[in-house]
Amino acid sequence: MGRRVSTNDVIVRTAAYYLAGFVCVLIALSVGAYAFMAREYASLMGPALGTPEAAAGIASAMRHVVVTIVTIDVPIVILVAIASYVLARAAIAPIDAARERERIFASDAAHELRTPLTAIATVAQAARANASPESRAAFEEIARTALDASEIVSGLLTLARDPRPAVLQCEPIDLAAVVATSVRDLSSMASVRGIALEGETGSAIVDGDERRLRELVRNLGENALRYARTSVRIASERTANGCELIVEDDGEGIPSDERERIFGRFYRRENDGAGTGLGLAIVRWIAIAHRGTVTVSQSSTGGARFVTTLPLHRDA
Amino acid sequence: MMRILVIEDNPSIADAIAQMLEGQKFAANVVHDGEAGLDHLLRQSYDAAIVDVMLPGIDGFTVARNARAEGVQTPILMLTARDAVEDRVTGLDCGADDYLAKPFVEGELIARVRAILRRADRPLVTVIEVGKLRVDVGARTATYEGKGIDFGATEFRLLELMARNAGIALSRTQILERIWDYDFDGSSNIVDVYVSQLRRKLKKQGANGIIETVWGVGYRLTT
Repeated sequence: MGRRVSTNDVIVRTAAYYLAGFVCVLIALSVGAYAFMAREYASLMGPALGTPEAAAGIASAMRHVVVTIVTIDVPIVILVAIASYVLARAAIAPIDAARERERIFASDAAHELRTPLTAIATVAQAARANASPESRAAFEEIARTALDASEIVSGLLTLARDPRPAVLQCEPIDLAAVVATSVRDLSSMASVRGIALEGETGSAIVDGDERRLRELVRNLGENALRYARTSVRIASERTANGCELIVEDDGEGIPSDERERIFGRFYRRENDGAGTGLGLAIVRWIAIAHRGTVTVSQSSTGGARFVTTLPLHRDA
Repeated sequence: MMRILVIEDNPSIADAIAQMLEGQKFAANVVHDGEAGLDHLLRQSYDAAIVDVMLPGIDGFTVARNARAEGVQTPILMLTARDAVEDRVTGLDCGADDYLAKPFVEGELIARVRAILRRADRPLVTVIEVGKLRVDVGARTATYEGKGIDFGATEFRLLELMARNAGIALSRTQILERIWDYDFDGSSNIVDVYVSQLRRKLKKQGANGIIETVWGVGYRLTT
């Protein structure tokens, strides 16, 4: 996922470029004016040049020139700074509108796709009841595929939005509860794979969207269970200036040159059959929307260790 | 036999849901738009209704709201678009009992239907009055001396719990289990965070000090 930049950042940056360009021109003009005045004074003083009085006279006159130039420059720079901001905002407006249209299109497209996918999934599941054993398996496959496709659509719908707190439903929530419920939800997948799943529930209250935080832990947990050899550990803990959600496994680990790329959309690691390819992109989106971060490093057993940091709730 | 009303405009989805319900020995009746659905809810007695949010004409929220306004107690399960957080919140605010995102797994649909049917078995007091505080659980509103107070979903559930147990001191663990279904060992001060939010909002309407701290136990709503 490309790092997203807020509209205001773009405006400020563009305005800064405008201003920097103008300041260069202004400096050139000022230096030019200064040089011109210096030459004028020198030619004016022509014959008397070289006497101490002349030198002092020129020095005082040039000080006056500098003061004049600076007093003219400062208000100009301020005016240009304001003008740059206004111009930059006007220049960005159509881009912003285009981005908004694109977002609306993505969201509309997702909703339009969802109805047929729901029809396929629902009809296939209903048809299963009266089907012969072979058709039954086929209907189940159809339903599962439609549900998976819908999952991808949801993922894309999420990633089409800017990750910011306004798109979340935040309220105070204890990460320990998120870990406890996620471990419960993942336990059947863990036992099917014969992996020991350990949950460590350290209390840490954040201002978060519970459903999203559970999705984050579920995505990281499912990922860890796919790559683990024998065990997966999910933990929440309060740190000096925030809190951390840790998901680690004892699998092969992730080579350092892949550690940034795995958070990209549809990035698949070798031998990675399952999954939508959006899981980790969504994990990063959820972390950023909560004003947090997510990074991956190596666990003590050589596997992957994902650490999500989130800001603490103000009253916690 | 339990009778269930299905209000869903897409005919293939509606028929498939009916088929799933019939497979579980429910009797299903399908209608395809909001007006007809509301009409059915008002005139006939159903044990539960499954209502799609996106309906031609009047939408699912309006159907639920109008049915509740007319005193219909039928439990309602809303079918919403996935990810639509607003749908979830509005759905529960308009009087629906539960919501389910589309597309869904058959087992999930049946489990939710059974859950709302069970809930309907034991009628609950829907308006609780404690002194000048009035908590309307059905409409999800609370007032103090007639002045409305805006609470978030979790805050409201906590207030409801305290109002139902007015005069009784509830321990943090009791509150944790009832409101959050927290089942981990160790401590959490999430209850204190919510109680301070409740107190702040109540104080703004002049309800100062109605939630007491009971030292060594927890919190109590004074009668």
